[in-house]
Order: sequence, then C-alpha cells, then structure tokens
Amino acid sequence: MKTIHINKLLAIIEVKGKALFSKNFIIMPIFSLGMTYIMKLAYGSISKEIDMTGYYLSMGVLMNVCMTGVYCVAACLAEEKEKNTLRTLMTSSVNGLEFFLGSLIPVVLLMVIVNVLCVFIAGFSMTITEWLCYVAITTISSIIGAVTGMIFGIFAKNQMSAGTMTTPVLILFMLIPMFSHLNEIIETISNYLFTGVIMNFINHVTTKVTLTNPLELGVLFLEFILTVILFLVLYKKNGFEAN
Amino acid sequence: MKKECISLQHISKEFNGNLVLKDVNAVLHQGEILGFLGPSGAGKTTTIKILTGQLKPTDGQAYVLGINCQDIDETIYEQIGIVTDVSGVYERMSVYDNLKYFAKILNVPLDNIDILLKRVGLYEHKKKLASQLSKGQIQRLILIRAILHTPKVLFLDEPTSGLDPTTALEIHKLLKELKTEGMAIFLTTHNMEEATKLCDHVALLNEGVIVEYGTPQDICLRYNKEKKYKILKNDKKEVLLIHTEENIKVLNQWLMDDEIISIHSCEPTLESVFLEVTGRELQ
Ligand SMILES: Nc1ncnc2c1ncn2[C@@H]1O[C@H](COP(=O)(O)OP(=O)(O)O)[C@@H](O)[C@H]1O
Ligand SMILES: [Mg+2]
Repeated sequence: MKTIHINKLLAIIEVKGKALFSKNFIIMPIFSLGMTYIMKLAYGSISKEIDMTGYYLSMGVLMNVCMTGVYCVAACLAEEKEKNTLRTLMTSSVNGLEFFLGSLIPVVLLMVIVNVLCVFIAGFSMTITEWLCYVAITTISSIIGAVTGMIFGIFAKNQMSAGTMTTPVLILFMLIPMFSHLNEIIETISNYLFTGVIMNFINHVTTKVTLTNPLELGVLFLEFILTVILFLVLYKKNGFEAN
Repeated sequence: MKKECISLQHISKEFNGNLVLKDVNAVLHQGEILGFLGPSGAGKTTTIKILTGQLKPTDGQAYVLGINCQDIDETIYEQIGIVTDVSGVYERMSVYDNLKYFAKILNVPLDNIDILLKRVGLYEHKKKLASQLSKGQIQRLILIRAILHTPKVLFLDEPTSGLDPTTALEIHKLLKELKTEGMAIFLTTHNMEEATKLCDHVALLNEGVIVEYGTPQDICLRYNKEKKYKILKNDKKEVLLIHTEENIKVLNQWLMDDEIISIHSCEPTLESVFLEVTGRELQ
C-alpha cells in the first residue's frame, strides 16, 4: 500500500480543481444544469397535470454522471499525458495513489454539488430520508463514473481520443435508462446499469411505491467494486499510460 | 574523497533485440558535471531514463545516491531533479503557479520560487501563462522547477538544444553555480563546446558504446599526436605549421624577426576526436 502525503494530495486537488473550471471541462456540469432547466421549461409548459420533475432531474443527473464523470476525467488524464505533465509529476515524487485521489476528489465533489443543484432546478421534492438516499446513490454513481473515466484515460493518448473513446459508452450509459420505458429488453439492461439505478430511484420517489430494492443496491455496489478492480488491474499493468 | 552520486556499472539496454546501450560505465561525484556527448540516437536519453528509474536496464547495475535504480520508488525524486525534452508545463497556469504546484508537492518554502525566478531572469514573467512563454523561457522554467528542492543530483537531457546562444550561456552560468554549490550534474548533449566548457568528465557515446571517457582536456590531449600551430603573419597570411624540427627553426626566425601577429596551437577538439574515433559527425 502506498502512503499518502497530505501536502502532495492537497496540492494536486487544488490544481486539478482549478483545471475543472477551464472551458474544456466546465461546460459539462454547466450543460447538465442547463439541460435540467431546459427540460423543465420545455415540458413544464406542455403538461401541467403530470409531475415531470423527476424526468428533468434524471436528465441532468445522468448527463452529469456521464459527461462530467466519464468524459472530463478521461480527458483530464489524457491532457496530462499529452502535455507531459503526468510524467513530470510522477518524477517529482508524486505516487499513483496520490495522483488518483487528487484527480478524483475535486471532480466527484463538483458532481455531488451539481447533482444537488439539479434537484432544485428541476423542482423535485424529497423527504429527508429520500434526500439521504439520493445523495448516497448519486455520489456512488458519480464515483463509478469518475473511475470509469480514469480507465478510459489510461488508454487515451490525448483529449481528442478521450472524446472519441468515451462517446459510445456515454451514449450507452445515458440513453439506455432514458429509453428503458420503450421495451422490455432495454428496461432489463437498464436495471443492471448504475445509471439505470439512478433513474429507477428517482421514479420510486415520484411514485412513492418503494425507495430502493436489493437488486438496485446490489447493482450499484457490484459496479462500484468492479470498476475499481478493473482500474487497479489496468493500472498495475500499464500505470496511467498504456502503450 | 567526494561522495559518489551516480554510478553506472556494465549497463546494457535492449529494445526488442536492439542493443542501444552496451557495457556503459561511468561515475559522477558530488560537485561535478558529467557529460554524455553523442549524436542523436546514441543512447543518451535511455541512460537518463535508466538512472531515474523510468526504464530498467537489461544488464548491469545503476546507482543513484547509493540506491540501486531498479529498486527506487517515488521518494528518490525528492533528492534528484530532472529536465528532459518531455518535461511538461501546465500551459493554462502562470509561471509562478507552475512552480508553486511543485514547491507544494516537494514541500519547499514558497520563498524559493522568487529567488530562483530572479536568478534566471524570469521574475518579470512570473504572472505570464506558461503557454505564452518562448522556448528559452520554458526551458528556464523547467530548469528551476527541477532545482526548487535543491536536489543532490540534477539530470539534464540536452538542456540547451535549440536555444539561442544568450539563453544557453545563462543556463551554463547557472549550472556552473549549482556545481559550485555542491550539486552533481549529469548532462547529455550533442554540443561539443558545451561539453568542453562545462563538464569535469565527458563520455563520448556512439551507438550505445562509450568510445572515450575522461576530462575533456585529457581526451583531447590523447589525440594530440601531431602538434600544429596556426600562425598569422604581419602580411595577414595564415600559415599552418606542423611541429617538426625544421618548422620550429622557421618559427623561431619569424619570432626573432617580429613577423608574427598571433600564434594558436591547434589541439583536437572533442568534435574532431569523435570524428576520428567513430567516423561520424556529432550533429
Ligand atoms: N522505447 C523504445 N523502444 C524502442 N527503441 C527505443 C526506445 N527508446 C529509445 N529507443 C532507441 O534507442 C536508441 C537510443 O535512443 P535515445 O536514448 O533516445 O538516444 P539519444 O537520446 O542519444 O538521442 C535509438 O536508436 C532509439 O530509436
Ligand atoms: Mg535524447
């Protein structure tokens, strides 16, 4: 097990956090917030009877988890390789664990904030218990998204390739839950996706049937463990740079 | 006896069947500069990568500060500094913020930054974004980042390659000062003047083999088999005299007759030695 030096970790968090606010990356969380708002404007005027707030929220959160999580993290790591700064950090006494945590902490924090803001923008109402579950589920999903981004980042040589590589996966992660009501196969697949779990949870809160079920929690937990293990295996083999 | 900072013992490196370093031996002591001089592709960068733990040698042992390079972990980087052609900077961050980042990582007082910035003449540019710097300014930024923590050993991979002469001279001046302060410096170059001027010891590297090793002066003298003098006479004629009994008499006569403006002895340079040993040009 590697040791974590707090001074190094904090320095990385600070720089990585600021990097997230550069125009390449900040558009993703802004886009997620904007999407929630646009959905509300668009649908809010059409259907006054049905409660669609859960739908607006799902859109924003799924986008945030996928775009900010997977894309931004992958592109951010790819950029460090493209500009040779990753190598410089690693030969300036930063270890892999410090870099990993320093990269993930700020982006996950940002995602958590955006996930919460989306609730208010959508105008979705929840009880305290529902809020707690919501924050827990979206935070774990955000971590899954970010670690998935890291995995792609290992293979992406530059920001361009990070974009190309993550796009199909992003579409899968976002669209499958969004269209799960269309047919049963899609619905089944969606149930086994962490993004589907978020969608289902928001539906549960809306319909007030149940909060979560063991399958959903199991999926979330399993996917969390799997992505982390996959990352570790790939990292052990390649470091952050696969040839 | 000065402390041994780097030691290469019978180092070989193979890339998919290609031997790019063959039985390389060298030592670098504290307060000295060791230069690896060789043309592109000679194996200079590979040597630095082995010494800094970024590549494993196929054969032999390499030591930095007494630690076997195969066993080093990231803590070694608190004691060594590295400047290579792939040392990156954060383009969206200012010069100062780039340095502050690494100062924090390396636990160095932030006051060091301004001192070093002034030392290399970058202080006026500290607020500039790194993306707006010239090549020479970036090279100086990378250099001071590598010495922020006053490392015991500094690795420089072609530090002045492609820079204008003024910047190169400034960097040379700084390196000499660092050496006087006790830093051990390992540098690679294909510039023989740089090697001659800066290095205490030079290894001439050709296709992974050290073909000559020693002080620049010793190496040149070893090849000084035929002494020559370049003479400028009063009538502005330049004459090349080979050291023979006959010619010395002539020279004596010219001197007595006060016919000479200047005399230069023509020792071989590292460049001509390299050409003689390998049949190749350095550049
Ligand atoms: N990762 C690598 N894989 C295969 N060959 C390599 C690799 N790195 C360097 N080489 C080869 O090793 C030789 C020495 O390279 P290098 O050390 O970069 O030379 P120099 O720095 O002196 O120009 C070259 O022929 C180069 O093509
Ligand atoms: Mg090189």
